[in-house]
Amino acid sequence: MNATKLIARKEAGELLLNLRGLIWLMAVAVALSAFGMLLISDTELSLLDNAQVVYDMAGIVTALGALLALIVGIDAVAGERERGSLVPLLLTPASRGAILGGKLGGVAIAWAVMYALSLPYLWAVGSTGQNMLDGMLVAALLGTPVVLGFGFFGMGLGSVAGSARAALLVGLVTLVVSVSPLLLGPSLRQSAIGRMFDAVNPFSAAVNAYDAVIIDSQSIVAQSFHMLVAAIWLVLTLVFARVSFRKIAR
Amino acid sequence: MLLKIEDLRLSLGGNRILHDVHLELRGGQIYGLIGPNGAGKSTTIAAALGLLVPDGGSINILGQTSGADDPDVRRRLGVLPEKNGFYDWMTAEAYLMFFASLYSQPLTQSQVASRLTKVGLEPRAGQSIGTFSRGMRQRLGLARALIGDPALLLLDEPTNGLDPRGRREIHDLLLDLAKSGVGILLCTHLLDDVERLCQRIGIIVNGKTVAEGDLGELIRERGHLSRFHLRLAGELPTDVDNNGISSIVAREGEWLIVEVDAGTRPDEIWRELLFSGWPIVEIRRNGGGLEDLYFSLTERVAA
Amino acid sequence: MKLLAFVVATGLALVVPAAFASPLTISLQPATTNPASPQMGDNLSFHSIIRNDGTAPVDGVIAWISLVQVDKGKEQPVDLEDWSAHKAVTAVDLEPNAIVETDWPMRLIQAGQYRVVISAASRSGSELTTSPFANFTVRQKPVVESLRILPIALGIPLVLAGAIVWRRRRHGKDG
Repeated sequence: MNATKLIARKEAGELLLNLRGLIWLMAVAVALSAFGMLLISDTELSLLDNAQVVYDMAGIVTALGALLALIVGIDAVAGERERGSLVPLLLTPASRGAILGGKLGGVAIAWAVMYALSLPYLWAVGSTGQNMLDGMLVAALLGTPVVLGFGFFGMGLGSVAGSARAALLVGLVTLVVSVSPLLLGPSLRQSAIGRMFDAVNPFSAAVNAYDAVIIDSQSIVAQSFHMLVAAIWLVLTLVFARVSFRKIAR
Repeated sequence: MLLKIEDLRLSLGGNRILHDVHLELRGGQIYGLIGPNGAGKSTTIAAALGLLVPDGGSINILGQTSGADDPDVRRRLGVLPEKNGFYDWMTAEAYLMFFASLYSQPLTQSQVASRLTKVGLEPRAGQSIGTFSRGMRQRLGLARALIGDPALLLLDEPTNGLDPRGRREIHDLLLDLAKSGVGILLCTHLLDDVERLCQRIGIIVNGKTVAEGDLGELIRERGHLSRFHLRLAGELPTDVDNNGISSIVAREGEWLIVEVDAGTRPDEIWRELLFSGWPIVEIRRNGGGLEDLYFSLTERVAA
Repeated sequence: MKLLAFVVATGLALVVPAAFASPLTISLQPATTNPASPQMGDNLSFHSIIRNDGTAPVDGVIAWISLVQVDKGKEQPVDLEDWSAHKAVTAVDLEPNAIVETDWPMRLIQAGQYRVVISAASRSGSELTTSPFANFTVRQKPVVESLRILPIALGIPLVLAGAIVWRRRRHGKDG
């Protein structure tokens, strides 16, 4: 098995076999469960169109996925460095590129696990409503580059920041700003600055695509502009991670 | 020559950390790199490993001047860093197998078992590393450093956290490795370890090498013999052979005060004396040797 | 004299309101397709007919739907935000004897007893015209989708908690 695959497998183990990783997954599941329980306990929410609920759930899955990927990415570099397990890895014959590739693979595995975890929730809230399958597909197509981008961004931050805490602070602020379209009212998003931000924000691209496909029943193919924004985000964060990781010292 | 560093200069964050470090290590040698806290020992090792980029000087490691970035160099290199972290959720066995695979030398279970036996961890092969004590982690780190059958070992405080028996076991392991031709750079605060293990030493103070070379010669050059007090249970044999003792300074009751040539190992001298019939029941060190040399050099520079 | 003043006042009271009374009349009927015993989540529709019974055209008619809850102790006007997207018709000009028919669909959001009424005003008229009330009762709906959501919302965290406990036990055994 090549070094990249070996390290990716190790990173997957960090998430699925390590107590810390299991607790993170548990936190994600509890958040999704809390939203699900809110739906059945709150009268008005329980009467929302299924499409609206699937849309909301897809948005929450993407936001939580981005949070998990950010934490996994930061921990894969800055966390390992602070625990003292990064230097022995850097000193093996495996190239920096292979090590980085393995860690990026770890972020991808974390998202895959989280996406799989979210599918039962999407089914539970939307199986009698419209566009559930399209919703799952668009969450995979748009959610994946957005979430992975945050993971790669976390790895880049972990490489350049002085500590895992500093990297986490910067990462969380960036995430909150990006997720703000979910929190801001429609009128704020309609301002000139709001529209400009919406056009370049990868999270907005994902959420707008979910709206179009799940609620307005548009085709997934018609979301190519949103996919382009998400893809550009993915590429930029990958370059950032690569450049930063190569410079990492002890 | 496995490792040669000349005139090494390195700055971090605008501060000059190293400004004149040099050392030479050949195969089969154990080299002790010592100095006060913050002197630059770990920084020197990090530079040798290519983890820090020096401002000047030269580093030749395993025949490569490009440094330890070369995968072929890293394949022949074993490192035990100062901060020794692991993947706590893995077993010791899985951990060594993981690293062995990265060295393109996948190990069978029996091979892993023999590696763990060498460092005294075989009974714990199937246990999570998270349950290991500090000493066990240190042993596992050493096992990891030996994974690729390295030609050069760089060890930063290898006996950290080990009990006296554990320290002795690691010493014996390092001596065996040196006998088989491995070059070992040992970075440590424990002067006893250096005296027992090292043929060559380098003393770094404030980022500068203040003494470097053969241990015995350095001590002799600077006039530091090791003085010991030996408590005797009886009279010395009539055909006294001094066996490495430079001089008998004085006899005070049951105590014999001797000076020992610093080029030899004291414990080998005591073994020979005991075989010769010397009735030694207690040995106390009383200054001299590497300790005096170290204190005199570090005080001088600090002043 | 007093009798004359009384006759004049009575006459004015009869004549003046008649001159300024709204020429509009509104009828309101529930749709025939409405469920007999509606519950939360059902859709109801009401049909109104606004007629100009006057002799002159009425310009700029605005008609809107209002809903009040009349359960004892919970009397309140209802915000139609979630109930209906169709809350008014506007800018209607009605010739004499002309009518405008409007359907008023709504989704029943909350259980209770309700009264719905259609109100109308015009650009120059001075009085409000209202329809008769249409009354309906909305039954409580059982908790929805719980059979799907509960097993997932409780089951998945339980499985993960089990994995955490197993992992901790294994960790402890190793020690």
